[in-house]
Amino acid sequence: MALSANLLAAPVAAPLLTAALILLVARWGGRTLIRHQVALTALALCLNLGIALTLFFGAAVQDRRFVLQFGNWTAPFGITAYADGLSATLLLLTAIVALAVYPFAVATIDYHRARMGFHPLYLFLLMGVNGAFLSGDLFNLYVFFEVLLMASFVLLTVGAQPAQTNSGIRYVVLNLLASTVFLVAAGVAYGTLGTLNMAQIAERLPLASEAVRTIFAGLLMVAFGSKAALFPLFFWLPASYHTPPPAVTALFGGLLTKVGIYTLFRSFTLFFPELLISWQPALLTIAGATMLVGALGALAQPGIRRVLSFHIISHVGFMLMGLAVALSGNSLAIGFGLGAAILYLCHHMIVKTALIMAGGAVELYMGSDRLASIGGLVTRQPLLAFLFFMAAISLAGVPPFSGFISKLSLLQITLDTRHWVVSGVSVFASLLTMINMMRLWRESFWDEYSRPSRVPSRLLQSTRRQWMMLVPVASLVLFSLGLGIFGEPAFRLSMQVAQNALDRDAYIEAVSPSALYSSDLRRGAFNATVPTSPGGNNLPSVMLDDLPSPAR
Amino acid sequence: MPELYLRLLNRILTPLLLLLAIYLLLRGHNLPGGGFIAGLMAAAAFELQILSRGHDRVRRSIGPYLNSGIGLGLAIAICSGFAGLLNGVFFKGLWFDLHLPLLGELAVGTPVIFDLGVFLVVVSVATSYLLGLSRISDSAAPIPDGASSLELSDSFESDPAVVADDSSLRSER
Repeated sequence: MALSANLLAAPVAAPLLTAALILLVARWGGRTLIRHQVALTALALCLNLGIALTLFFGAAVQDRRFVLQFGNWTAPFGITAYADGLSATLLLLTAIVALAVYPFAVATIDYHRARMGFHPLYLFLLMGVNGAFLSGDLFNLYVFFEVLLMASFVLLTVGAQPAQTNSGIRYVVLNLLASTVFLVAAGVAYGTLGTLNMAQIAERLPLASEAVRTIFAGLLMVAFGSKAALFPLFFWLPASYHTPPPAVTALFGGLLTKVGIYTLFRSFTLFFPELLISWQPALLTIAGATMLVGALGALAQPGIRRVLSFHIISHVGFMLMGLAVALSGNSLAIGFGLGAAILYLCHHMIVKTALIMAGGAVELYMGSDRLASIGGLVTRQPLLAFLFFMAAISLAGVPPFSGFISKLSLLQITLDTRHWVVSGVSVFASLLTMINMMRLWRESFWDEYSRPSRVPSRLLQSTRRQWMMLVPVASLVLFSLGLGIFGEPAFRLSMQVAQNALDRDAYIEAVSPSALYSSDLRRGAFNATVPTSPGGNNLPSVMLDDLPSPAR
Repeated sequence: MPELYLRLLNRILTPLLLLLAIYLLLRGHNLPGGGFIAGLMAAAAFELQILSRGHDRVRRSIGPYLNSGIGLGLAIAICSGFAGLLNGVFFKGLWFDLHLPLLGELAVGTPVIFDLGVFLVVVSVATSYLLGLSRISDSAAPIPDGASSLELSDSFESDPAVVADDSSLRSER
């Protein structure tokens, strides 16, 4: 058990150590050194995939919970890393997306950006995302949010094109605002509940007053909703995703908003499952508005990547819809909505990444991604046209791809729980997605061939680079096809993951933040006094913060 | 511009600051101090060098090592965590008692090594920031005579020399 728990440190430690080695050994300049950087990064990504697979089989398939107390300092004092099926599923998908985008990135990132440290930054971003999925206390979640924000900010602006800097500033300002709200929420938790450990927060939150719970939930909703690009807070995403190199957009589109969605899933199921009932109208309204605004906004966009980034917003709405209906319905369907949302999340991460890469390839071949000025690529790049089409219909939800099964299950539970309006909105948004995808495909591939405005000659000359661009897209499309064909076992697995995520007592027990109190301290080995909490709520006297450190 | 008194002060202060940094680094495990603060203190010593001797000379002497310093520091910090695996759990502290001939007993453990890693990262990052800032302030320095500080932003944008300098800076990077 000790060894497998230590495995939880690996998704953070492996990218970090590799990035450190790159900084140490293969420093910036020189093409040979950059080849070394690429080799090291690829090694780390494969290692990360292996670790994620191991964790996935342990946590999601075999249905176990992994807890690592760093340095053996028990829960409320030390740092906790926690993985159950939900975390492990997201870790696995993150590893797949990161590994799939990397060949595309190596083929398309220019020498200048590579010299500025693109490859270690890629690993730092991966480390931040992995850490956010694993962290078992609120403050470390914040820290990993900042790690991934900083890494993504540099990835967004490296190269220093004016448009990149412009969008980078908007991105970082809006995201820092969200982080500040999150920090305030953490402060509220610490001030009123006296802890930042997520299991302990879950344990104490039912004792807190109604006002504290509402404020805490609201602050977390704003912070995570902004990270996930939910309806009123999504402005940072379409402002920034179309300016960096396509590989960076593909990575961001696959990973960043999903961290926000994961934290929403985690916080609602762990901290306030009762709000999933009482806030349901609000959550469903936000979900519907997000779906609609994303899909309608995409309709008005002139460029491939702008359309796709608006669709990210639209699909985040689908996932929130699944979360909102997770606890409603009859007792047999508990967790059905969340399971469908998790399946949708998996489908979305895979397909969206493939689609952004395919769109990026179109952009690189045509020298522009403005739909008005491109077209006719089908004769020159038939394979790309085919893959783009497959990814597009998967996103729109056509069988036998994964989009169909995930949308069907979401729609089924929403109709079962009689939320007619939001399910109607979701069907409408899916229709708009279909229209948009067909528009993208027709404009890029079907029209008269228009001569590219500026051809990246290097790309068109090297067949190896072309394969490095197409093979990742093809493998992700195949993955989506597999997820669609083996939809039933996939759905069963995600149901199991969802029910585990909803089992908050098991989470608390696995981390067992109060084990210390229950053994020696409650028996008076400790001079316990009631803490003067500012919220004035009556916490039991055993819930103290200032306990001495446990034995090393 | 190197100032005379700054250069004199530099000779006294730099060794003092570096010594203080090492002192803070070593006492940091149980007392106020630690890798982060010690790193900032050492970076202050380097900033003093930048101010008194000009950033070019400092860059030539330590610039090439800064990225390696970040990498080395991160690697050391992570490896101190791996050392804990020997003891069962990642990042678990390992402690040794050293019997030194003059100083007596000294407890040395992996947290100190972790702090050393943090120290290296902070020194390298802070010094490279300071070097970068001093280069930017150099390239922004030629303000036309009579331009008040309020007009600074205007002149910065419109002055072709500054813009050219900026673009050369970008390509140099």
